[in-house]
Amino acid sequence: MIAKALGEYRRSLVGWSVGISLFLTMYVSIYASLREDPETLSKQALAKSPGALRDIMGGMEDVATGAGYLQTVVYQLLVPIMFIVCAMVLGNRAIAQPEESGTLELTITLPVDRRRLLLERYAAMVVALFVIAAITFGVLVAVAQSIDLGVGVDRILAAHTGVFLLAVFFGTVAVTVGAVTGRKAPAMAAVGVWAVAGYMVVTVGRNVEAISWLKWLSPFHYYGEGRPVYQGLPTWDYLVLAGAAVVLALTAVLAFDRRDVGV
Amino acid sequence: MTAVVEAEGLTKYYRARRGLEDLTLEIRPGEVFGYLGPNGAGKTTTIRLLLDVIRPTRGTVRVLGHGSREPAARARIGYLPGELVLEGREKARDYLRFLGRIRGGVPPKRIEELAERLDADLSVPMRKLSKGNKQKVGLIQAFMREPEFLILDEPTSGLDPLLQREFLSMVREVRVSGRTVLMSSHVLAEVEQVSDRVGIVREGRLVAVEDVSALREKAVRRVELHFDAPVPPEAFADLPGVRELSIRGAALACTIDGRPDALIKAAAGFTVVHLVSSEPDLEEIFLTYYSEAS
Repeated sequence: MIAKALGEYRRSLVGWSVGISLFLTMYVSIYASLREDPETLSKQALAKSPGALRDIMGGMEDVATGAGYLQTVVYQLLVPIMFIVCAMVLGNRAIAQPEESGTLELTITLPVDRRRLLLERYAAMVVALFVIAAITFGVLVAVAQSIDLGVGVDRILAAHTGVFLLAVFFGTVAVTVGAVTGRKAPAMAAVGVWAVAGYMVVTVGRNVEAISWLKWLSPFHYYGEGRPVYQGLPTWDYLVLAGAAVVLALTAVLAFDRRDVGV
Repeated sequence: MTAVVEAEGLTKYYRARRGLEDLTLEIRPGEVFGYLGPNGAGKTTTIRLLLDVIRPTRGTVRVLGHGSREPAARARIGYLPGELVLEGREKARDYLRFLGRIRGGVPPKRIEELAERLDADLSVPMRKLSKGNKQKVGLIQAFMREPEFLILDEPTSGLDPLLQREFLSMVREVRVSGRTVLMSSHVLAEVEQVSDRVGIVREGRLVAVEDVSALREKAVRRVELHFDAPVPPEAFADLPGVRELSIRGAALACTIDGRPDALIKAAAGFTVVHLVSSEPDLEEIFLTYYSEAS
């Protein structure tokens, strides 16, 4: 069952791996030439960009250093977005998409327990995300070393683990909403709203007293607060992300086991 | 022997909409049970309840001695969905092998045999299959494991007449080997050829379960007789089972309820040039049951 689902994901897997790898190669390589011309990334130059943009990009404080550049360009926004969209697409393929199209009808009548069916399709998504994360990690490390970025492999690994966990979390949101409702649109809405709101809360909203408590509900808080590029693995934050995914996945199992399929 | 299907008071509502109301039904081992009704009558709802795709609002159902929630029952069932959806780049052959593996193993030779018999091309990606070819793939996956119980929802839709005949002979073989079939349809003609018993469902209720032979007797047929000369209407007045009688010169038209015996005997006194008897139409059988109920 897992192998079957992975077979279905094969093309997306290759596509996303290549896409994200290309992005990483291009943007990280540019750093080599930007470094030659310190003016571009100097504090004065960056001060010209609007404050809100700087907030959204996580402050852009030390973008001239290798770690700062990696954090701002790769791990702050763009790569997480790509992983989240990818996870949402794959997560929807677990239940919602086959249920909407009607292919789930035959699968559900196989002599396989429903809970197991869901868990295996969920596991396939996690494995697929892991493969994409592993490939892009490899590419990033290679590029970083070739241009001498000055960030240790352990730090990149710590940050990349965070991206993987963030993707798993949002993929799980998609699987769970799909398992509860059987439809793609609510799953995509849930991921979209939670991701955008969660991101805003920890960036633009971090100085707004009234909503700062909301950060506890934001996956991005656990993803970025520990500054893994600078400080290494934020173990407890990551465990919260993983734990939340597990709780959601169990919810998905319980809900899917109880309801009518394809109605 | 335990019944293959034992449903008691089986009821399904989709929110407020009625899907199936109070179905009590037993399907016996070794029989071919035809499940008849117009679209939306509750046939597919019943089938999906048996397979645990949907859960009953009330009532119970046991399939092959198992509660319907147990996956073990489904291991012994071959199922063809009414609306079979096959998608993706995967080749039909690979998909069939996957289904075979999950169901506990099907020799590849068996798949090829069935494909040849139904003239199905399995080397095509599934999304490129025509409707008829998808139906063939659906039939192959249902029959390939030689399951104890076959559940076929509108199995002949999309098949050309030649293949329909091949399909019916496959069903007969299943019956000969002592296995059980539940087959839904809205066409009586295809069900009555192979079924032992027929259940008629209408607006969510099972209105009748009959032996096919008994149903045939109850069926309303339109009959036309043409004679070589005008016939006297008195000769055909008040014949049992004959209704809507009209005689125009040498032509007689009527509907017959049950046996045509009385009409044939009355007509035997004249020279019959031409006789037309149309197959009983399901709609008219429904009307018969309706008029009996009211």
